[in-house]
Amino acid sequence: METTETKATENKTFWQKTYDMAQEEIPDHLNRFSYCLGATPLILFVILAVTGILLTFYYIPFPGQAYNSIKTITEETYLGWFIRGVHQVTVNLMVLALLLHIIRVFITRAYRDGGGLKWLLGAGLFFTVLAFGFTGYSLVYDNVSYWGMTVVTDMIRQIPVVGEPIFLLLRGGEDITELTLLRLYDLHTKLLPLLIVLLIGAHIIAIRTLGFAKITKHQGTHPFFPGHGLKMLAMTVMLLIVIVNLAAIFPPTMGEPANPLVVASDVSPPWYFSAIYRWIIIAPREAGLFSVFAFFTLFTIYPYIDRGFSDRGANMLRVNLAIGLIVAIFFATMTIWEALV
Amino acid sequence: MSVVNNNPERRRFLSGAFMTLGLTLGLGAMGTRFMQFLMPDVTAKKSSEILLGKADELSGDGAKFFDIAGKKVALMQSGEGFTAYSRICTNLGCLVSWDNANDQFHCPCHNGIFDRNGKNISGPPPRPLDQYEVVKRGKSVYIKLDVA
Ligand code: FES
Repeated sequence: METTETKATENKTFWQKTYDMAQEEIPDHLNRFSYCLGATPLILFVILAVTGILLTFYYIPFPGQAYNSIKTITEETYLGWFIRGVHQVTVNLMVLALLLHIIRVFITRAYRDGGGLKWLLGAGLFFTVLAFGFTGYSLVYDNVSYWGMTVVTDMIRQIPVVGEPIFLLLRGGEDITELTLLRLYDLHTKLLPLLIVLLIGAHIIAIRTLGFAKITKHQGTHPFFPGHGLKMLAMTVMLLIVIVNLAAIFPPTMGEPANPLVVASDVSPPWYFSAIYRWIIIAPREAGLFSVFAFFTLFTIYPYIDRGFSDRGANMLRVNLAIGLIVAIFFATMTIWEALV
Repeated sequence: MSVVNNNPERRRFLSGAFMTLGLTLGLGAMGTRFMQFLMPDVTAKKSSEILLGKADELSGDGAKFFDIAGKKVALMQSGEGFTAYSRICTNLGCLVSWDNANDQFHCPCHNGIFDRNGKNISGPPPRPLDQYEVVKRGKSVYIKLDVA
């Protein structure tokens, strides 16, 4: 494909080059729904960025005012509930989309191409999104988020070696103070966005240079534009409809304001942290915490574990299916358990 | 004077290696400084005695809670004297409350339970509640705290 075009490119105008790029061939299997999940987070990210920026025009990152400013957004500001609702619903869809994408990549072992680099970047993206989830949740500064923030930062503290310094950096001291809120706010609105944009860029560049996932059944290709572009547009419209409706059906709510002297009666975290939360309640402490850290570490370096085993002749497709099932069942059980108690 | 080794590959490698090393050291030093700037100062503050109240006002069943200079304290009568515990749960930092019916401290976050002597008896907490020193002078009860 490239050889015929390389010479001609020099004389082309900017628009012609752009057009060429849009016409680039992409594999046919990306037409299938389960393979579009990579683009979905990108669309969701744009929605989050826009609503997030809008929210910063009203939010006040100071303990005495944070809760009230969100209350004002939710209850008084014109369409405030809607912007906050869209932001909140979209985060949930984002985590869901990433989970599905991760499951798909894991089951099909798509992480193998490119020496695991795509997976590493993807894992980085996933952790960044979770960090967004945690910091955003803390900014609400109601009592549940206050105590959630206490517990999570303390959990980070238990990580061997790096835990203590990260803990102090996050809290800005031993205790939760106005510095803590300010730091989480800075992370949520400045450092994490910077990080995620870099990671998204690197993830996309890695895909463009290392190639899309190859699957054996579908060999054909089609141009990115119009076919795939229109498909993405359709996805965007569909997502917007879903998000707007969900935000209307489940408008954002607020709990009691943060109270450093009274622990919230129910400190359960958002659904994507439920399984871990339930697990550290029922498991013995050290084992519980250690298994959480170990799980995330193994998850991150999985392509290299896979390579180690498949070099020794293991049938990793079966292994992955088994691991995937076990992890999924475990997480589902813990999440449902947490929802029931 | 003769050139010992004039291999261009080697030169390129060496200069590349030096550049990388320099860059790493430079950025590393700067990064360390930035981290130092962000790192809070947690060196021990000087300890001072703070008056809690009169002994007869403070005595009674169960734990009494105080919030002194940001420290959450549970005071407990034990025989003639008093013991002061930090209410911060040793598991992941929630606050314990006093459960009078069962004569124990309870942490709602992950169901940690401590007995009236602060000993962890059930749930995830790995060690007993921290204690503060209590001093009695005449009728007055003081607590020793590290405050700024
Ligand atoms: S923080 Fe008290 S039991 Fe977990």
